[in-house]
Amino acid sequence: MNFIIDLILKLGKVDRRWIFLIIGVVVMIPLFYPLGLPIRATATTQQAYDAMDALPKGSKVLVSCEYGPSTKPEIDPMVRAVLRHLFKNGHQIYVTCLWPDGQFLAEEALDEIGGGEFGLTYGEDYVLLGFRPGNEAVVKGIVSDLRKLYTIDSRGTKVTEIPMMDGIHRFEDFDFLFSASAGYPGTIEWVQYAVDPTDVQMSTGTTSIQVNEVMPYVAAGQVQGILAGMPGAAEYEALIGVPGIGTSGMDAQSIAHLVIVLFIVLGNIGYFIERKRSKKY
Amino acid sequence: MLWKRQIPILIVAVIGSLTLFGWFIDEPHIKAFVDDDATQWYDILASFAIFLGGFNLLKLQLQKVLRKQAGWQYSLFAIGGFFFAVVAGFFYKGNPDVAWGTHVTAKGTLFKWMFTYMFAPMQATMFALLAFFVASASYRAFRIRNFEATLLLVAGIIIMIGRVPLGSNISSWFIMYLLVLVAGIAVNLIFKNKQYTLGAVAGGIALVTAAGMSMGWPLDQPGIFYLPYLQEWIYKFPNVAGARSIMIGIGLGIFATSIRYILGIEKSYIGE
Amino acid sequence: MFGEVLGAWIAVFLTLAIFSFLYKDNPFYKIAEHIFVGVSAGYWMSMFFWTQIQPNLFGRLWPATHYEDGFWYGIYDVLGMISSSIFPAGGIDKGHDLHFIYLIPFALGTMMLLSLVQKLNWFARWGIAYTVGMAAGLRAYGYLNSNVLGQVKGTIIPLANSDLPVFSLLGASHFNNLIILVGVVTGLLYFFFSKEHTGKFGKVTRVGIYFLMISFGASFGFAVMGRISLLIGRFVELITFSSAQYHHATLWVLVIMVALLGYSAYTDKENPEAEVS
Repeated sequence: MNFIIDLILKLGKVDRRWIFLIIGVVVMIPLFYPLGLPIRATATTQQAYDAMDALPKGSKVLVSCEYGPSTKPEIDPMVRAVLRHLFKNGHQIYVTCLWPDGQFLAEEALDEIGGGEFGLTYGEDYVLLGFRPGNEAVVKGIVSDLRKLYTIDSRGTKVTEIPMMDGIHRFEDFDFLFSASAGYPGTIEWVQYAVDPTDVQMSTGTTSIQVNEVMPYVAAGQVQGILAGMPGAAEYEALIGVPGIGTSGMDAQSIAHLVIVLFIVLGNIGYFIERKRSKKY
Repeated sequence: MLWKRQIPILIVAVIGSLTLFGWFIDEPHIKAFVDDDATQWYDILASFAIFLGGFNLLKLQLQKVLRKQAGWQYSLFAIGGFFFAVVAGFFYKGNPDVAWGTHVTAKGTLFKWMFTYMFAPMQATMFALLAFFVASASYRAFRIRNFEATLLLVAGIIIMIGRVPLGSNISSWFIMYLLVLVAGIAVNLIFKNKQYTLGAVAGGIALVTAAGMSMGWPLDQPGIFYLPYLQEWIYKFPNVAGARSIMIGIGLGIFATSIRYILGIEKSYIGE
Repeated sequence: MFGEVLGAWIAVFLTLAIFSFLYKDNPFYKIAEHIFVGVSAGYWMSMFFWTQIQPNLFGRLWPATHYEDGFWYGIYDVLGMISSSIFPAGGIDKGHDLHFIYLIPFALGTMMLLSLVQKLNWFARWGIAYTVGMAAGLRAYGYLNSNVLGQVKGTIIPLANSDLPVFSLLGASHFNNLIILVGVVTGLLYFFFSKEHTGKFGKVTRVGIYFLMISFGASFGFAVMGRISLLIGRFVELITFSSAQYHHATLWVLVIMVALLGYSAYTDKENPEAEVS
């Protein structure tokens, strides 16, 4: 018994590089040897899915990509899953970006899924309007007069020459908004400057860190559901029946979380033992 | 003094008032300015601010090299990286079929190559480092010192396990047995009597086993002990309550601070 | 293809160099960090110039639709001789009209750049004042409407409704609605520091802290989730670049880096007085 107690106390003082190594190994191994744990959609993911599934065919959906390479593992899988869902249901997709690097990533996803997988036509089924700097000023610009802000799309074509831009002049001409957001500017700015002042509904996918900031809007009905980080992306992939990068990361995510919880429990056991000993003496 | 102090304060007051009251004024010229031109100017000035930051960085790194300060050799890499990015952005496209302007977002350009193989991996890795530090910090610093810390820890653990597929596969009965063991430890700490502890643990195990056998050991019942349901409840109700109170507080604070800027009470942007 | 393979090796080197910081601060990490700083600055400058300054500012000062011989476009032609990529022949065709009023942001922006000169560093204040004023006006309305009024509206929920159950784990119920109301009110009361948190008021604010702690715990859980997801993303890319298509870049760079760091650790152990720069 004393041996175990001493071991726990020793572990409490271990060099943190051993912890780094354990985390690295624990994340790496399930990527090579997946466990195949089944994924169950949570209520907020289901709400987002239902909101987008209920859109009438041919709806004009604005998808806004506010993420960069640092948050690509969390947001890109959900953008791809949502695009697949929307393309499958026959909607027209308009993509804007409030972050500049979002444009590169959105373009990759659109070309692979819209152009490649579904064989759709750029300019008729989907268009990448691209990035404009200005943060919430861009959102305000889209709400008041989109064509003043976007005179050309990301490929340099004038919006007046793009067939699917007919009838699109401002935010209210869209039927739904999906914001894939990794921070500022993102979901919150869309809620404050676009969704609250108008009747257009929105759903969102955010990084895990941003979920708690956005959750009150979801609870208040300002946002229809939320995809929370990579687990949210994996849940959406499970709902549309097309597993992707989100799903493949879930086993590693599960094991890593378990190991961190064990670390916390172990650390606290050591803390209580030390506290008891110091009280004794 | 007028140019350095009064005019900036006047600019903030005028532009701030115009932007704020622009939400409520229906006059077409003002609305056009506030909604379109004012926001365009904001975008343009934000872009110039980026240039200011970039040139400032270059100035500092060059100074470090010229004065041979500690670590000046590494500054050469910073300057090299900067000039490489500027060449890719302004001087060498790499794809002759793409026009200047769209080359920053088009495929096949040096700029896109730099984004894919230099900028993106480095930015992503810098953030990924935090995973290791959060694990290390959790182990070394996260201690249950009082009831509030316990609440924080328990909520965090339930969210971490309940939100991933692993949580969905942990039976609620396993959690109930775990709680019986924790109750046993609590009884032992309070009464310090081995018989009481044994009785509590044995009784708890018997109760849970009987309940499980009568219900047929369903994975997700009773719901309150099934981690995904429990985490969903915590996430949607007490968590939202706490987050909402913080959000309302922040909202009021931002409104008050914005009014202070517009009225010229807050002057930190000019260094006062 | 060569560009892709070269790019993969560079990406792997930079990724592993940054990860080497976990072992200790070392030259690999410092090199990668400085490259990141330099490349980021150049990247953002290029991106913002070509997506904002050139099309929206210059495109409104010298639009192709108003190109004509004259003084104003004479200046443009001179600028075009300096850089034909930024100022193409015939004006900038981005669908804008001529707006001389955009000389104002041009002047403010130029003043911002001139502030790099020590004597003129107050020049930036005008441009900063404009952005501060604009942001203050926008945010005052946005946060009041959505964060305060919107959230208060969302908290006004039924506490007595015959259609709702008393308790439901996942759906709306009297108990859950009461939790939200009590949590929001006590949480807000906790932030009221004009009255001392003692007595009955102290007990109420204590309840508020408990709700805040649950919220922070949930945020902690999500933070861990987010960071692990990012790590998974990096590892997936490193695994991709370890394939034969990229000549096993990950494996080679890892072996070389570990060998060099190991050798450096060994020599440091042999000569503990030697200074590591």
